[in-house]
Amino acid sequence: MLRWFEQKDTGRPGVISSRIRLVRNWQDYRFPSTLDEKESGEMVRSLEFGLKDLGKDEGHNFEFAMLGDLEELDRVALKERRVLNSAAVSNKKPAGIFISENEDTGIVLNCDDHIRIQLLQMGLHLEELWERAGKIDDYINERFAYAFDDRYGYLTSFPTNMGTGLRASVVVHLPMLSQGKKFQGLISDMGRFGASVRGVYGERDENFGSLYEISNQKTLGQTEREIIDTVTKAAIQLTNQELQVRKLSLQRHRDEREDEVYKSYGVLKYSRRLTSRDAMIFLSQIMAGLADGLIHTEEDFSVYRLMLGIQPANLQKLSDRPLSKEELDGARAEFIRRELPEL
Amino acid sequence: MLCEKCKIRDANIQYTEVINGTKKEHHFCAQCAKEMDFGVYAAIFDGEFPLGKLLSGLLGIEDTDKGPDKLHQILCPTCGTGYDEFVRDSRFGCADCYSVFGPLMEDSLKQLHGNLIHTGKTPVYQRQDYMDLRSGTGEHEKDSTEDPNSAVNYEEIFQWNAKLKEALRFEDYETAAVCRDKIKELKKGNEADA
Ligand SMILES: [Zn+2]
Ligand SMILES: [Zn+2]
Repeated sequence: MLRWFEQKDTGRPGVISSRIRLVRNWQDYRFPSTLDEKESGEMVRSLEFGLKDLGKDEGHNFEFAMLGDLEELDRVALKERRVLNSAAVSNKKPAGIFISENEDTGIVLNCDDHIRIQLLQMGLHLEELWERAGKIDDYINERFAYAFDDRYGYLTSFPTNMGTGLRASVVVHLPMLSQGKKFQGLISDMGRFGASVRGVYGERDENFGSLYEISNQKTLGQTEREIIDTVTKAAIQLTNQELQVRKLSLQRHRDEREDEVYKSYGVLKYSRRLTSRDAMIFLSQIMAGLADGLIHTEEDFSVYRLMLGIQPANLQKLSDRPLSKEELDGARAEFIRRELPEL
Repeated sequence: MLCEKCKIRDANIQYTEVINGTKKEHHFCAQCAKEMDFGVYAAIFDGEFPLGKLLSGLLGIEDTDKGPDKLHQILCPTCGTGYDEFVRDSRFGCADCYSVFGPLMEDSLKQLHGNLIHTGKTPVYQRQDYMDLRSGTGEHEKDSTEDPNSAVNYEEIFQWNAKLKEALRFEDYETAAVCRDKIKELKKGNEADA
């Protein structure tokens, strides 16, 4: 079965993926930070038992695991594949996860909050994901009453999640727009409409791969539809602007663009060592080149899958022994050589 | 406003330090904030929190008629989270913390969310359905073999819970303590039935 990020959805150029995350707490227990070991264990077991038939009616298969039973490397690899967040990776208390076969649906128990429902899908599909998340939400709520207040909504550990408990986000690819002078201003504009934009990979001012995640800033005082609408509109606006800039670049500098894309392909196809930074930059070129029809591969493939695949823990997982930094760069180059289709 | 650290990007994160009751405001951009050491917030930034405006001090409690000493004594009776801890971590320890700290930080919450009234989804199943399930039917419809006593117990627990919340809202800790004892007692009785 293809995992969610191995699928392709080019319905809206520039949009990589969508994510819906809901946090909830069971009203019978204090929030995770104030539960002791015994209470945490008891609560997670109750939730696990109560939710054991999750997805059965729809024919979906969920696997359950205690986070503590997973190797640290596996937890980091799951974080790189966006299933877990940092809090779940470093969590030490009893905590669990229900995860679907293709990893698009995950329900984390007892990390920041008792219940964290997350759905991922390639393309722009927040509406659809929200509907699916809502069903899971109701299924859980049917079995476990939530901590809820008429005024403050769903009560969560952090005030940044209270109310709807909803974080809707979309990852977009903005290689050209982000180079422009106006980009910072554009991001500030988005902020005024309640959408925040952050670079996905990279350090300091650099964002290797030009992927940006747009998400809602506020969770209280807006309906879920309004939140989804805000994020969707921001995603459409930014990707439309990117498309315009790209169209212009094709009209004016087609030769340079073609040269860049083919050079990138050459480096990716023949390198023996690639740092994460370089690999992301060249893959970003390929991503733009494919979208603009400057380059064609023999088979269809998801560039995003390669971007996730070359992250350190996922590469390390392919090897049977711990790799040094140089060996990791070697493994990265090898992975890309193997996975990048011929032209 | 420009970020006070790099002075290049727009500051979209406000951080209010509260040291011994004195507030100092800082304004950073997301990138700079990400690199700084905010203790627990490092995880927040690198995790799924977007450029939330949340940073510990933002939730510093506003000026109230209570003196600083009195503030430091505020404690959530359910989970034991104290005022200082709450301000430091910006984290609620339990649902009841909302009634303890919520009223003290309305302005901060308003700054964070703009609007303080929840308008989104409400839980589909709460209370009654839940009681049915807890009493072992596992179905929506009431099971005729269900022990009526256990259902009554839960009804009562919810009522005491409501009272407890009310008491906490008015900082009536004495009544709150009575409610909690009562709830404990009822819960125990229920376990014995099972
Ligand atoms: Zn800055
Ligand atoms: Zn509390």
